[in-house]
Amino acid sequence: MPRGLSKKMLPWLFLAPMLLMITLAWIAPLVLTVYLGFTDLKINNFLAFIQDFFTDKVKLTLDNFRKIFYAEDPYVSETFKVTVFYVVSVLSVNAVYALILSIAIAYFVKNEILSMILRVTWLLPRITPGIIYALMWIWFIDPRYGLLNDMLRLMGAPEDWLPDSWLLRKPYSQVLMVMINGYVGASFGMIVYTAAIKSIPPDLINAALVDGASEFQVARRIIIPLLKWPILFVTAWQTLSLLSSYEYILMVWGAGSGQGYGIARSAGVMVWSLYSYAKAFAEYLYGYASALSLILVVIGLVLIILYFRIFGFKRLMEPSKVEV
Amino acid sequence: MMRVGIRKRKTRALLRRIAVIAVVLLIAVIPAIPIWLMYGWIISQSFSGRVILGILPSKLTIENWRFLWSPITMGEKEYPNIWPITLNTLFLALGVAGLVVLVSSLSGYALSRMDFKGRTGMMQFIIALHAFPSVILLIALFVILNKLGLYGKGFMTLVGIILIKAGLEIPMATWIIKGFFDSIPWDLEWAALVDGCSRWRAWRSIILPLVLPGIGAVSIFSFLSGWSEFLLVFTYVAQEEYYTLPVMIYHMIGEFIHIDWGMLAALGLFYAIPTIIFFSVSQKVLLKIYVGGVKG
Amino acid sequence: MVVLRGEILVRVLLDNISKFFGKVKAVSDLNLEIKDGEFVAFLGPSGCGKTTTLLMIAGIYKPSKGRILFDDEDVTDLPPKDRNVGMVFQSYALYPHMTVYDNIAFPLKLKKVPKQEIDRKVKEVAKLLQIDELLDRKPAQLSGGQRQRVALGRALVKEPDVLLLDEPLSNLDAKLRILMRAEIKRLQRELRITTIYVTHDQVEAMSMADRIAVMNKGRLQQYADPQTLYNKPANLFVAGFIGSPPMNLIEGSITERNGSYYFETHSFKYALPRDIGSLVASKTSEVILGVRPEDIRVIIDGRGSSDSAIIGTVYVVEPLGRDLLINVKINGVLIKILAPTDIRLESGQKIMFTINRAKLHIFDKKTGEAII
Repeated sequence: MPRGLSKKMLPWLFLAPMLLMITLAWIAPLVLTVYLGFTDLKINNFLAFIQDFFTDKVKLTLDNFRKIFYAEDPYVSETFKVTVFYVVSVLSVNAVYALILSIAIAYFVKNEILSMILRVTWLLPRITPGIIYALMWIWFIDPRYGLLNDMLRLMGAPEDWLPDSWLLRKPYSQVLMVMINGYVGASFGMIVYTAAIKSIPPDLINAALVDGASEFQVARRIIIPLLKWPILFVTAWQTLSLLSSYEYILMVWGAGSGQGYGIARSAGVMVWSLYSYAKAFAEYLYGYASALSLILVVIGLVLIILYFRIFGFKRLMEPSKVEV
Repeated sequence: MMRVGIRKRKTRALLRRIAVIAVVLLIAVIPAIPIWLMYGWIISQSFSGRVILGILPSKLTIENWRFLWSPITMGEKEYPNIWPITLNTLFLALGVAGLVVLVSSLSGYALSRMDFKGRTGMMQFIIALHAFPSVILLIALFVILNKLGLYGKGFMTLVGIILIKAGLEIPMATWIIKGFFDSIPWDLEWAALVDGCSRWRAWRSIILPLVLPGIGAVSIFSFLSGWSEFLLVFTYVAQEEYYTLPVMIYHMIGEFIHIDWGMLAALGLFYAIPTIIFFSVSQKVLLKIYVGGVKG
Repeated sequence: MVVLRGEILVRVLLDNISKFFGKVKAVSDLNLEIKDGEFVAFLGPSGCGKTTTLLMIAGIYKPSKGRILFDDEDVTDLPPKDRNVGMVFQSYALYPHMTVYDNIAFPLKLKKVPKQEIDRKVKEVAKLLQIDELLDRKPAQLSGGQRQRVALGRALVKEPDVLLLDEPLSNLDAKLRILMRAEIKRLQRELRITTIYVTHDQVEAMSMADRIAVMNKGRLQQYADPQTLYNKPANLFVAGFIGSPPMNLIEGSITERNGSYYFETHSFKYALPRDIGSLVASKTSEVILGVRPEDIRVIIDGRGSSDSAIIGTVYVVEPLGRDLLINVKINGVLIKILAPTDIRLESGQKIMFTINRAKLHIFDKKTGEAII
């Protein structure tokens, strides 16, 4: 039955280009990351390796993981601490601060135009190409040309509180890292939450007002409980992307210092994924870097499976849906 | 209930109103001031010599934009001309957009309109990919580029990057286009068939015009994402003449910081032009897509 | 009923209020007084401004112009929280994340009422509304009628000064609606809370309210008790809106011949009593004559015929159960007549009928205002 067969084949014909591209960009590197994590690929055996991989000429080893887990690389534990700090603090900006922000913008501000202006403002960091966003921060925090120190002085911060360099002096640099990523991340939460708040039936809020709730009580007793799923979604999604995000750190510290992203280490902003990146592309230890990445891959996969369990397919699709 | 005097009730209401305004100011307005200042600075700095207080231009000049007509030099070193670099960026962005639209319209249509075994699984797979942080894969992709012989080959490296970038964008784009197909009622297609269209004709004259806005949105979105792509080019392109704008700007920030803020601002603004245009034109659609799926 | 008493009866006064949304005038220059303990219905088609008015009384909307007074206190600038009103929404607006108990307790919790008292009051209200079995459920697990009772309970539990009901029955099925109609009326009588009831259903308004404010296009058309509204509609809109089947409205002119006055259309001529005729003629000649279907009597076999009888042709007969609704055509003008079911009529048959002159309505065609 050629006709029946072609009918069965047709969807896969349509899907083939996508599957091919996905294989190239996702599946192959995913598998390869696993493989590379167990090799000692570096710059000096690289060319031979490219010829030989997946043959038995390549020696598989557990050395990389020994280095990571048995503290043979002394820097791993610090990277781990920085990463936890980074994820937890940016996450609280993204999930919690963004929630208050969205309620303020989408509910407290009744004027449509004002609300729109604020929403666009908070979106700007996300829309702006990363390198420009980085450039603006580099200027803003510059102790001589930038405005940050002037603003802090204006607010009455004593002179000796102000660092000579926001970029390099711990813990200022770490605060800066949270701020830079927080502004971008806050808009993600804001988009999801705002859509959710807008989808709450106005009658529900009116009813609460008539029942005697103040604006704050409406926010606390009606809006936030109804946003349960969007809040969980934002938290889950952002955890995953924060674990692996380092682009802004790389750009701001790399370009801003004029000395490359290696400076992130002494500035205390070397997060796990950037560390892996640096191991690969600054020290050319591809095998070890892959092992570091592999840990993130595993965490990522576990989290994704977990999310499918918690949310179910439907809720992952419509993060802003309020269940009324 | 005890009745509270009207005046007291009015005072209380006023106090609560003030508290709400205070919260809005504290949470949404004051923290937004740095954002406004930054954008104010980049605009005024690009046309000005020294800026006063960060955002007030002093003496108007187009000197900062000199990179548009003359080469940029730093001591002995001469940076590549801006225009070929812009062309590289444009090539990358257009390549990504074209490939993404082509591939994801096909797959989006199949997922929305065709019934086959494994359809739900495929959709779950796409969402899972979408959630998965792709930047982790940079090292493995580097090895793959090498294996394919696309590393360090100048122009061909850019092609390789287009393939990778498109591949990374495709799951989300497929999802968006599927959504647009989903929103077209089957009835419409059936009506066309009943009216005597062939299936192909129905697709061309009924379905395609209706998903065109979706395809437009996806092309803009993937164009912008190609235009802003930094990491892949930064990591994989070694020769300066194949840099794209963000990578060149990255290197120039390192060199010109403290020396020529004006030029950096102008360069940044120049690079941001397509983003500004596209965003102001199609802000609503883009926002919708941002909600549908964002990395960040 | 011990807890829910209505000792504090509140009088509501709408003093020339208007509400604009951008350029749209939702309500214009509305003046209305609702006496303490009174049950008033706002009646009108959708978009007439009745819900907007209700939301202004609740404090959700602020009037663009004018004042709202509760017992001579200007509450215009007060937020809902400080007005002590209770409200039932058309969608019921039950909080989906709270149980029935918590829904009803919510207004009391906000008032910081002690816990035991909340418990006592919630249970009492639940009993009153016969929902005491449902207290642990979530709104999603309730039927429409049950949700409606919960919403009512939530509005009543705080002992509101004013009770506002926004189309509370429109989402219920017909049978339940009639039941709840009686129940809400009984509750209001018992509790004596000043109540404002918004509806587009004239039967609801007529059967429940002490007085009805008929609204159209943001303006008050007439404010009167149901009987007056029915018998003395102030204008064409009220005449056409109140009553089912609706009043016959026939365009024509007033003519005078030899001291007799006639209502004349292109198809028939009808002699008017002299007093009415002269009164109308002194004001205008272009009029619309209104007569309710039940105020027209069919003459069978010429019995009881008079010189003012009109002849027409039966067009369609609609049996309504208790009555017959006869559609009669007189040269293109269609008139509806309500008649007892014992008449046998067929389409095309010629019949005569007379109009009860005491129940005649005549409206000025230009202004739409009633002349008599």
